[in-house]
Amino acid sequence: MSENTTAIQVSPNKRYSQYFWRSWAIQDSWNYERQMNMGFLYGIAPTIDRLYPDENDPEQVAKRKEAYERHMAFYNCTPQTSAFVLGLASSMEEEYARDPENFDPETINAVKTSLMGPLSGIGDSFFQGTIRTIAFGLGTALAAQGSMLGPVLAMVISAAFSIPITWYAGKFGYEMGNSFLDRLQSGTMEKIMYACGIVGLMAIGGMVATLIGITTPLTFSEGTVVLQDILNGIVPMILDLAAVMGMYWLVKHNVKTSWLLAICIVGGIALSALGILA
Amino acid sequence: MNSIGMAVLIGLVAVFAMLDSRLLGRLNFEQPLVTSAIVGILLGNPAAGLASGATIELMSMGLVQVGAATPPDMVMGGIIATSFAILTGSDPETAVAIAIPIAVLGQLLGVTFRTIIAALGHRADAAIEKGNFREATNYHIVWGTILYSTMYFIPVFLAIYLGTDFVQGIVDAVPAWFTNGLNFAAKLLTAYGLSLLLSMMASKGMMVFFLLGFFGCAYLGLDVTGISIFGVLLAFILMSVKYQGGSAATAAAGIDDDYDPLEDDEL
Repeated sequence: MSENTTAIQVSPNKRYSQYFWRSWAIQDSWNYERQMNMGFLYGIAPTIDRLYPDENDPEQVAKRKEAYERHMAFYNCTPQTSAFVLGLASSMEEEYARDPENFDPETINAVKTSLMGPLSGIGDSFFQGTIRTIAFGLGTALAAQGSMLGPVLAMVISAAFSIPITWYAGKFGYEMGNSFLDRLQSGTMEKIMYACGIVGLMAIGGMVATLIGITTPLTFSEGTVVLQDILNGIVPMILDLAAVMGMYWLVKHNVKTSWLLAICIVGGIALSALGILA
Repeated sequence: MNSIGMAVLIGLVAVFAMLDSRLLGRLNFEQPLVTSAIVGILLGNPAAGLASGATIELMSMGLVQVGAATPPDMVMGGIIATSFAILTGSDPETAVAIAIPIAVLGQLLGVTFRTIIAALGHRADAAIEKGNFREATNYHIVWGTILYSTMYFIPVFLAIYLGTDFVQGIVDAVPAWFTNGLNFAAKLLTAYGLSLLLSMMASKGMMVFFLLGFFGCAYLGLDVTGISIFGVLLAFILMSVKYQGGSAATAAAGIDDDYDPLEDDEL
């Protein structure tokens, strides 16, 4: 129980302002492979560092390494709503440090994965769909009349929604985690894992069907038979499913990441240039 | 103002626009309405900046970055096009015409860049392995900021410095097969990212929920939020069946009672 005595304490406001700024900075290393994974790690790193501060204690260093590795997993969420996930995951990390025997750390990533789909959906449609349309619709109308107030108003409206929502999302995530995890028994954990698995996997399935968009331009019999139409008639988005299942098979068979990236880039350009897929 | 100084200034506007989505959670300060006004002020013609900004903004309003899909980069297109319009004294409509090819070029650059910087993640993995925790987070906050800023500063600086003809020349010179190939490669990389997520989440007997989510969206046309709501409801239903043994057993018993007479009839 060395964790109990060594963990560094900070004021709630310091914690919440870290969730706030680090959620906003979550896209700083956005990439096609694991997307915002390093952004999430950057957000939760101060929490982890406070839990395992002793760099000379091999046990603490091992725990810290394990936590850093955990948060390098694929992640993608609207920055404003992601603050909620960051707050919740931080309180789960604290709970795990307090009670490592009865807390399955895999729950943390399961909760992250199951929340990021719905929170991105809500966040993107609210901030990029609703707020942006209203703020910039108004601003553009004013700017078209030659008023500098146009861009200023658009910026003010955007910030007026973004700032409080990000702040309270982080705060609620953390507080909810504390009160909610206090009541957890080991059986409850299993239930949560099961429920998160269902929601998370269904969201991943949904992302495969809606976010990739692979098609084939191939036609036969002088263009009268369009392969894509036939495929759509069998199962819509079947090529996206096939691509993910193919990659999944390779990942499961421990094919090296560098090979997989080469397959994606070189193979992708070749397949596209040959007119097989697009 | 000499042309190098001007190119540096406009390049810094581009860095500001990029950092809006990197460090400020995309407050939309990157939008053409805002950046064109700033460009107008810096180049001494705020009215022309506002007019170009309003026109380009209307056109790019529909382009929303959702998930991993990268639309034509109207942020870069808007900044460069507004500068050209002001510097050459053309009208806002010309600015829109210039903005589109630049936005497509910017999209190509963005896709390539976001593919390459996946390497930062592998460096961070290695740093964590060695116990260099600060180094790992620096790949995000320091290197991410520097590389993304550079990725925007250099092309905008060069475009303003070298001029419109040069930009148009590059747009025409990149072969279409290469652009299309990169777009397709980006889709495969997204498939790879999702398969990593799947391998993390899919434990024994859970794969069926992945397929349920996929087919729900593929056949019923639901979006990710919709399928997640169904996922939550399904989780509630299955939890009550799986874990609340008492009530589930009673319900099952009730069904059995109903079926008994039917079976008797058949016999």
